[in-house]
Amino acid sequence: MNIIISFLLFFLLTFQVHANTIYNLIKIPNLEIYETNTSNKLRYLYAKQPFTIGVDNNINCYNSEKKVLDKKYKIIKKNLDKYDQKFLKKINLKYIVLCEDLSISKINTAGIPDNVMKTLILDIKFNELYFERVIHHEVFHIINDSYKELFNEKLWSNFNIKEFKYAECSTCTDKLGLDTYKKTDGFFTEYSRSTASEDMAEVFSHLMTKSNLNNIDPILEKKIQFIKLNLLKIDQNFSL
Amino acid sequence: MIKKIKASRSEKIILVFIILLAIFSFGSFLSIKDKCLFVKDYDPKKIKFDNPKNIAILNVPCGNVIIELYPEVSPNGVKRFITLVKSKAYDDVAFHRVIKNTLVQAGDLEFGKKENIDYGKIGTGKSGLGTINSEVDAPFDFDKGSVALARTQKYNTEDSQFFIILRDEPLYETEYTPIGKVIYGLESLEQIKYLDKSQYVLRPDFINTLRMLIN
Repeated sequence: MNIIISFLLFFLLTFQVHANTIYNLIKIPNLEIYETNTSNKLRYLYAKQPFTIGVDNNINCYNSEKKVLDKKYKIIKKNLDKYDQKFLKKINLKYIVLCEDLSISKINTAGIPDNVMKTLILDIKFNELYFERVIHHEVFHIINDSYKELFNEKLWSNFNIKEFKYAECSTCTDKLGLDTYKKTDGFFTEYSRSTASEDMAEVFSHLMTKSNLNNIDPILEKKIQFIKLNLLKIDQNFSL
Repeated sequence: MIKKIKASRSEKIILVFIILLAIFSFGSFLSIKDKCLFVKDYDPKKIKFDNPKNIAILNVPCGNVIIELYPEVSPNGVKRFITLVKSKAYDDVAFHRVIKNTLVQAGDLEFGKKENIDYGKIGTGKSGLGTINSEVDAPFDFDKGSVALARTQKYNTEDSQFFIILRDEPLYETEYTPIGKVIYGLESLEQIKYLDKSQYVLRPDFINTLRMLIN
């Protein structure tokens, strides 16, 4: 026991302060700069080693091969370039963290938005089929978190038929399908039915990727107008 | 009768060697102790500046650090800085946060003054002039020698504290309000006292004076 304590003391006492700018800024360890020279001033960072953060260290993500990183970066950048610097500043998004096998409390997730730290962590190995849409879905969560008062969930829920009720949380349901319905009935995907905020994020991501916007039912049309109207309140020049 | 003994040749060589060794040891001791020995001190009077009214002279233990301020980049930030410089508020204020080869931070006017330094609160003090808004929109290269206003985790909380970076920090652009760049004397800042185990320095170095070149 004494040996262990001595070892720990030795380790602590010989620990040197190393300036880790990225950690100081966004409180995520083991990151390096991937690209900072972007037109909208987004800073792309990547996991050089796996990292663990969050309450009780419940968020984990792993480093990727450079080949994968380079390939996915192009897709992510192409999509995030749709947002200009002014808008990103308004919604509080600045740092994009690229890593793979992202999980929160052991549940795999496509992204973790944190508008307080201005950071969006993206799992670059998330389902290829929906990858681009998911990027915008996660951006919406940043928007929503920054403008809770605009995206009122009660108002939103009133668009649905009276009998419909969302689940308590997005992980409290098995409605996880991300395929876009061929015939909509107020929702774009099965996942839209999970919670109001996920439903909004699904509408937003479909608008941003312009997927399946034909034959929209009246409920979904109201939801689309709601999202558009509120985005214009944030930034008059925002275009979908 | 005392018999005079002559030193042999080898004894003389040993004696000379010991004397040389003593001189070398003493010289090394002095040069190691004097951290400013090889640091060039710049005399602002001997330098011609393009914008002399935007030049601030920060005098630290190893000499002068000459800063060019950029009011066109951060008008309010520079205005606040000049206001405090002109009132001599930064004199005798500690470099309380220093990270080796990375940055030096000073400007806590409330808890960082030499005569009443408070190690428990240093870094949280205010100037009494209130906070100012961040000015982070203008493009600015945060390369080595950049001077910026410090803030809390939130924007628009800049006051009197400032930091100078000793290496390039591209991620600081749009994070911190830049007010200028060191154009001479960065070496003096590299000698500011730091601790290996903490960013916050006990018994820190202090700013001697901070003045505008033209008052």
